[in-house]
Amino acid sequence: MALLEGRNLRKTYRLSKRNTVEALKGVEVSIEAGEMVAIMGPSGSGKSTLMHILGLLHSPDPNHGPAPELRLGGEDVASLSDNARTKIRARRMGFVFQDFNLVPTLTALENVMLACDYAGVGGKQAKQAGIEALGLVGLADRADHKPSELSGGEQQRVAIARALVNKPEIILADEPTGNLDSERSAEVLALLREFNREHGQTIVLVTHDAEVGEACDRIIRMRDGRIRDYGHRIDSPVAAYASVAVPA
Amino acid sequence: MRLVRDLARRKLRSTLTITGIAIGIMALVVFGSMANKMNALIGGGSKYYAGKDIVSIGSMFSGSFQPLSLSDVDKIEKLDGVAAATPGIDMMLDDSTTATMGTPEMISGSVPGGDKGLETFPMTASTGRLLIASDSGNVTVLGSDLARKLNAKVGGKVALRNVDFTVVGILAPTLTAPDKDAEVPLGAAQQLFVKTLPPLIQSKVNAADIATSITVYPKAGVDAETLKTRLQSALGGSYTVMDGKDFDAMLGSISTIFSLVLTGVAMLSLLVGGLSTVNTMAMAVAERTREIGIKRAIGASRWRIRREIVLESAVIGLIAGLIGLAIGAAMTTLFNDLGRGSGNVLFELTLGTALTAVAFATGLGAVAGFVPAWHASRLDPVTALRYE
Repeated sequence: MALLEGRNLRKTYRLSKRNTVEALKGVEVSIEAGEMVAIMGPSGSGKSTLMHILGLLHSPDPNHGPAPELRLGGEDVASLSDNARTKIRARRMGFVFQDFNLVPTLTALENVMLACDYAGVGGKQAKQAGIEALGLVGLADRADHKPSELSGGEQQRVAIARALVNKPEIILADEPTGNLDSERSAEVLALLREFNREHGQTIVLVTHDAEVGEACDRIIRMRDGRIRDYGHRIDSPVAAYASVAVPA
Repeated sequence: MRLVRDLARRKLRSTLTITGIAIGIMALVVFGSMANKMNALIGGGSKYYAGKDIVSIGSMFSGSFQPLSLSDVDKIEKLDGVAAATPGIDMMLDDSTTATMGTPEMISGSVPGGDKGLETFPMTASTGRLLIASDSGNVTVLGSDLARKLNAKVGGKVALRNVDFTVVGILAPTLTAPDKDAEVPLGAAQQLFVKTLPPLIQSKVNAADIATSITVYPKAGVDAETLKTRLQSALGGSYTVMDGKDFDAMLGSISTIFSLVLTGVAMLSLLVGGLSTVNTMAMAVAERTREIGIKRAIGASRWRIRREIVLESAVIGLIAGLIGLAIGAAMTTLFNDLGRGSGNVLFELTLGTALTAVAFATGLGAVAGFVPAWHASRLDPVTALRYE
């Protein structure tokens, strides 16, 4: 059973009265536990939208087609309320964004502990988990520093620590190396790979960077709101089935 | 606290907003203290006049009146339901007293013990003693404010209407009219009073026989209102009988209007401060749109986001309330100290007023945050994250 799987995923955004954007046109995807998957594609391909739906930030559109399906660990999450989705994001998922995404008035440790707070973990337990997570990314000694006192790469590592602290089932990263130079990018990438290889952390990331894509187990390539290539290796039976499903 | 760090992000803006509310709270504290004092004065009077009737000819409040005769006292004492009737003389200490806020300074002549022990209004001497029946001649017990103004000490002398009196006691503060009174034996008051009458009338009147009012105490089980009607019919139309309800009717409305006007002014200035806070929080939410997006994305519920904003704006209110209270308290203390010398202590800052002021400010702050908080919680995480 896949950790996270979806079918008939559509999403249309209304930008203004007459301007709508069909970001996803019907996508089927399946993420196995322990996989590190990259989603790549040109601008407007729908990769970020797919990430947002997999991350329960938005719900898939129910209309204009067959009913969408989305399951996390076997549970149906396709049509949950905002509150329910928020709870799952807090407790079972971790997020890393492109632009550092730390709260500027909080220290590194407090930023990490924020995730604990939202997941209902408080006090000593949260502090301990926070320090541990910072340790895993090599920033235990910078726990009391504010984001302004940290470099870009360090801030991104704090964000990763925050994504990990609740031991989530899956981590979703939207262009985690987008704003970093090549050296810092490599550092962050190595960290993510380490968590995937040694701790079995499932990771899905959206990226422009081919090198980042290469470091993953597979690359899902998208274009114009659909998946063109599921990235499975040819010798896997799933790949053969999947390539039949991809429209010409 | 973490909240204060967020406030410190925008020091100038936070300071301006806090100042706005603080000014409103300061006004509330100062005006509220004035209203407290006014209520204490009038409340004290209300307490005094409850349960007894005052007989006079004409009304002291309407200006000219005729003096009563002591034979009226005998007549009243014989009436059914009267436990005691005692004559009194009240006159202004100084004819040229300018209108002050609060009660005027008076000379009050009475017969100690004339109430037969029925007087319930508490009056005690802080130094010296109260007047006793055997007192005669020019002795006086001064109210606390008047004593301070005249710089009087027990055993010393003060001049009341250009006549020297020996001070035998100083009253403990009552927070109402007696603080500005000079109590003297009836005989001494009669002598002083007669001198205020026009010369023609002076020659016709027997000084030892006059009173300006008679205080009537009802027997147990008889209420003052019933007795008032009885007195009125027994004495006839030229006499005025006033009971506690009349006093309340006369002055109660003054007290209410006073409180309302003062509180209204303070509330208005607080409204301005409150609106300024709404604006500040709206700006804070707009500036922290990305931050709110991140928090929502990593699992903060809408309720959490609302709570954060409302708490922050409540803290603005709390800080402003404490500052406003501190400044208001300093001002009332200053004004009281300045006025004490001339006997005008016009402000009473009670614990109730202080707590109300701070609680109100905090509540105002919290409410000001409601709408911006609601907007913040409705932000879509993804859109908020991308906000430039």
